[in-house]
Amino acid sequence: MINTGKHLSRRTILRGVGAAIALPMLDAMTPAFAGTTAPKSPTRLAFTYIPNGVTINEWKPKGVGKDFEFTRILKPLQAHREHLMVLSNLEHHNANALGDGGGDHARAGACFLTGVHPKKTAGSDIKAGISVDQLAAKHFASTTKVSSLELGCEDSRTVGGCDSGYSCAYTNSISWRGPQTPMPPETNPRIVFERLFGDDDFGASPEARARRANQRKSILDLVNSRTQKLVQDLGPSDRRKLDEYLTGVRELEQRIALAEKDQTSFKPDIEKPSGVPVAFADYIKLMFDLQVLAFQADVTRVTTFLFGREASVRTYNEIGVSDPHHPLSHHRNMPEAIEKITQINVFHAGLYAYFLDRLKAIPEGDGTLLDHSMLVYGGAICDGNSHSHDNLPLLVAGKGNGRLHPGRHIVYENKTPMTNLYLTLLDNMNVPVDSLGDSTGRLPLLTEI
Amino acid sequence: MPAMFLRNLSLFAGLLCVVSLRLAAQPVSSESKPEFENTIRPFLVKNCVGCHSDRMKAGDLSLQQFKSAESIAPHTDIWEIVVMKLMDGTMPPKGIPRPPQEQVESVASWIRDAVTQAELASKPDPGRVTARRLNRAEYNNTIRDLLGVDFRPADDFPQDDSGYGFDNIGDVLSLSPVLLEKYLKAAESAVKLAVFGQEKMKPLALRAQPPGREFPLHPKAKKDYDETGLSMPNALHANMRFPGEGKYKIRVAIEGRRPDGSEPVQIGVWIDGKLSRVLEIDQPSDGNSIDLFGAQVEFETHLTAGDHWIAGTFVRMFEGLPPSYEGPNPSRRPIPPGPDIKRFMKIPPGATEAEITDIRKRAEERMRLIRVPANRLWVHFIEATGPYEQVTAVSSDSRKQIFVCSEQASACEQKILSGFARRAFRRPVTAAELKPYLELVQSSRKNGSTFDEAIAVGLQAVLVSPDFLFRIEKTEPLKVKNDSAAAPIDQFALATRLSYFLWSSTPDDELLRLAEQGNLRKPEILSVQVKRMLKDPKSRTLVENFAGQWLELRRLESTTPDREKFPEFDDYLRMSMRQETETFFENIIRNDLSILEMVDARYTFANEKLADFYGIPGVKGTEFRKVDLKGTPRKGILTHASILTVSSYATRTSPTIRGKWILENFLNEPIPPPPPNVPALDEEKIGASGSLREQMEEHRTNPVCASCHAKMDPIGFGFENFSAIGAYRTKDGNFEIDASGALPNGREFKGSDDLIAILGEDKNAFVECITDKMLTYALGRGLERYDRRTVKDIARKVAANDYRFSNLVMEIINSLPFQKARQERNKS
Repeated sequence: MINTGKHLSRRTILRGVGAAIALPMLDAMTPAFAGTTAPKSPTRLAFTYIPNGVTINEWKPKGVGKDFEFTRILKPLQAHREHLMVLSNLEHHNANALGDGGGDHARAGACFLTGVHPKKTAGSDIKAGISVDQLAAKHFASTTKVSSLELGCEDSRTVGGCDSGYSCAYTNSISWRGPQTPMPPETNPRIVFERLFGDDDFGASPEARARRANQRKSILDLVNSRTQKLVQDLGPSDRRKLDEYLTGVRELEQRIALAEKDQTSFKPDIEKPSGVPVAFADYIKLMFDLQVLAFQADVTRVTTFLFGREASVRTYNEIGVSDPHHPLSHHRNMPEAIEKITQINVFHAGLYAYFLDRLKAIPEGDGTLLDHSMLVYGGAICDGNSHSHDNLPLLVAGKGNGRLHPGRHIVYENKTPMTNLYLTLLDNMNVPVDSLGDSTGRLPLLTEI
Repeated sequence: MPAMFLRNLSLFAGLLCVVSLRLAAQPVSSESKPEFENTIRPFLVKNCVGCHSDRMKAGDLSLQQFKSAESIAPHTDIWEIVVMKLMDGTMPPKGIPRPPQEQVESVASWIRDAVTQAELASKPDPGRVTARRLNRAEYNNTIRDLLGVDFRPADDFPQDDSGYGFDNIGDVLSLSPVLLEKYLKAAESAVKLAVFGQEKMKPLALRAQPPGREFPLHPKAKKDYDETGLSMPNALHANMRFPGEGKYKIRVAIEGRRPDGSEPVQIGVWIDGKLSRVLEIDQPSDGNSIDLFGAQVEFETHLTAGDHWIAGTFVRMFEGLPPSYEGPNPSRRPIPPGPDIKRFMKIPPGATEAEITDIRKRAEERMRLIRVPANRLWVHFIEATGPYEQVTAVSSDSRKQIFVCSEQASACEQKILSGFARRAFRRPVTAAELKPYLELVQSSRKNGSTFDEAIAVGLQAVLVSPDFLFRIEKTEPLKVKNDSAAAPIDQFALATRLSYFLWSSTPDDELLRLAEQGNLRKPEILSVQVKRMLKDPKSRTLVENFAGQWLELRRLESTTPDREKFPEFDDYLRMSMRQETETFFENIIRNDLSILEMVDARYTFANEKLADFYGIPGVKGTEFRKVDLKGTPRKGILTHASILTVSSYATRTSPTIRGKWILENFLNEPIPPPPPNVPALDEEKIGASGSLREQMEEHRTNPVCASCHAKMDPIGFGFENFSAIGAYRTKDGNFEIDASGALPNGREFKGSDDLIAILGEDKNAFVECITDKMLTYALGRGLERYDRRTVKDIARKVAANDYRFSNLVMEIINSLPFQKARQERNKS
């Protein structure tokens, strides 16, 4: 189109001076991730979701209180006995049909952290409720760089129908910022890493990094003086463009100098991931590593993570289970199928033990990261064959900064709302909330011995 | 009062007959000045100044201030608008009596001539292009051509800013510190790749998994269908970016059920449109049917780095079903008897004959319902893992381009650097300029780097230098000082303009050599070069970057039509739509056709998927081929599904957006943005309590909106027979489509075919529009008033040469703003 008179001046000029007045903060310019001066270590909250139910009699420990026996599924977690608490008989009433017919998987996913009965729709008019992690995330939004992490390992989208007339959003997201706003989990470890730490390569050796920093400095020196010379011959509009460039050069120079001076800043001790690892176990471990790093650096205090979304059809060839998970979970009481489901459950628990190992290995303040965490592991379907939503598989690990007293198997009254547990966890982080979903009060016995 | 008004009006009309006769008889010249005082001004006072007065200033415009013919020259922009509004009937607005058409036309034509004269009398001005950085596409292509590595580093850069519809506009392209950091890193990786080869990477997993599928189920097999499965809604098409060259494991997982007794399912895996493998899945029956939920196949294949289109399909899907499905090549397996009807008949004791018949009937119905449909199958996900056995060897081409001498040769470092800097800076480099780069290499050597490592550092520096990242143009020294201060850009700048215009990349050796010899500007050489460049496959960037932005095809990627309303819209259809328009445009370039083909060609290019969507029989497979459109409701690119989709909302068509799209991208008539606080349409009601058209007409009763909507909406309504994804339709919801209408100038049309014919009559409008867009793209700046004559001039010359595409390109290249630049004072 022919431009008549006025043209982009305002926007352009704003952009021009924008470089001088409102510089975007470069990731590595952020000084050492805060949290070093805090007198008390913060409490972290993590939820890990296991889809398609478990073989519950292989999960539920024998014995109550301190003298419980590890079952086959929980055995991989035995080393963390003193740090974990198995909670039996919790229920998600709102994951039941309540007149809505099929769709237990979708309801389980949407209900797990919200306690809300999701609206049955495959369209865009989805409705669940705010989830417990997001209540905590909102509370700490201004405290940490990232308010919460939502992680998964199956590609997720939020449109279309996934289970008996329910939107895919319900199975994809356990985390909900609001009733209409599911938080789709990020599945690419590289993107998670960059979100937490920027895209610097922390994996290289200190010498290699120093050498590269020096190279970059000399290159920037060179182009800096070249540009100074170049602009002398330019008219005002060209010069303005080159000034943007010069500003960038100076920014980068400062940034490199700052990074050199600031040796105390947090450096993640893993290589920046380049994508999704091929083996499932490596993938899960990497996603746990990222959560550990995020907690360690206090970049965030709240995470959610799905081993798989409800009705996941992942095959577990690495442990000899080549049947897809969801069809397998409809085991029709065939011992062979039940055995395979149990194997998957055991495998998952082993991967979860890795998370606890890692957290326990990191000292912080008066203890370890594990001591300062509250980690929920479980699902909203008890048994995949019957799709029941009571007697749910659930455990809480970590000591919650002294607010939890683990090392026990607590059996609650049948059909105690799971959301009561969440309210207590939020209390332990001093997040003021009155109710959540179908909650009826606080969950007792978590602190008492 | 009204009576008097009428009387005056008729008197005035009578007077005007005389006036217009005089106007027509007497060509406009400097002696015709009195015309302004005698006829133009009275016309304005009578018809316009009522609102456009110094006091009222409707639309921020006063026409009262213009008292003489001299006032036209300094305000040609305003007068242009006056003519436009008069001619298209938007002024005087509805409700105010309209002067007779002959009168309007003669006044308009007088003003138009005066504007033209004023413009011709002004000094030609080539304008000035601000120094501009390479945009993402240009950066990727330039790195590819300089280093021989194609790894698209700029895909990670922040999105480029666009202005005037394009993302290569110098004034708009900004450079943030974040971007500079990306440049620094991209230079490191690009040089590393070229000098040392691909770094060994850990195998990764890539996965494409669409949300749940919904498509119509067929109880019986079809006989005539796409046997490749590619265009079926149960196929999965994925564009995957493979991180490195090597072996990949491709896994395809499916879901669904097949009837008992069916033969194994055949899964076709297609790579870049070619069938790579057919794999079988044979599952036992679970007693009722064959359960295929989660069934998977896997195979290994070698793939190059970069984007590949991977598709998983059901091949010959309706074959191998039990004979009762009546499909081709039915299953030869024994067919299990199926459930006994008695299972569904619970006959209470003492039931009457009639009751039993009824129960049987219901049982039969039930059995029919539980029967597995013939096509209840879909691809659930495609996963690729790799690279295994990765190819990491450095490309010998890359090294040959850089290492023009060996380490032992004397002054080799200098030779390598000066050669590379010349290509990277697109001009020769002086020894003084080269010195700091050379010193950098030498000091790196001293610090213990190998020869290759040190050279790499030097190359990196070149690639973050402003001389590389920015296109800064020099002009030829002027022999005679003239005050117009317009000088030809130097030959290197010309070579650079040519290559970024036609290739979105850096000039090749031939262009640089000709520039160095000072021969590039010679007309006979220039035209040979342009022809050579258009023939080069690199000119495909004109399709992707010019047409992709002009026609807004790029937006197709981010457009997501509502899945419930348009279940047939899938990624393969999206890809096919885009490819149709791109192939059509590329065909015009490759065969140097008339650009008017775009307006009303009765052919297009389609693959099976798109042909099915258009209802054109006889097109099979993935290849795009020329397809005759005679007898269909389509002609020209305005009826391409791509364009109809990008000019729609996700849930419905928008005649306004379509009208605006056509006015701005086809007829060169920009529409101002809507005023604030305009109420939106009630989406719920559309198609329910009134047609879209009825609702919009109501909306147009608002006079603020009416002046622009009167122009946009009728054009858009002309295309209402095409849905929001460009499918042909005769109904919208419960309502018959009425695609007839009238343009503000009174021309009536019945539907898109008519409308395209009317729009096509004004060839000049279209040619000026494409010229305007292409000149903007070629120059990398927004056009100004002084470019008008250039646009008109080019359009005229193109018309005189049968509207050939190459002619348009050549005329743009030969034009004043492309060849010259206004001198900018150093200090101001």
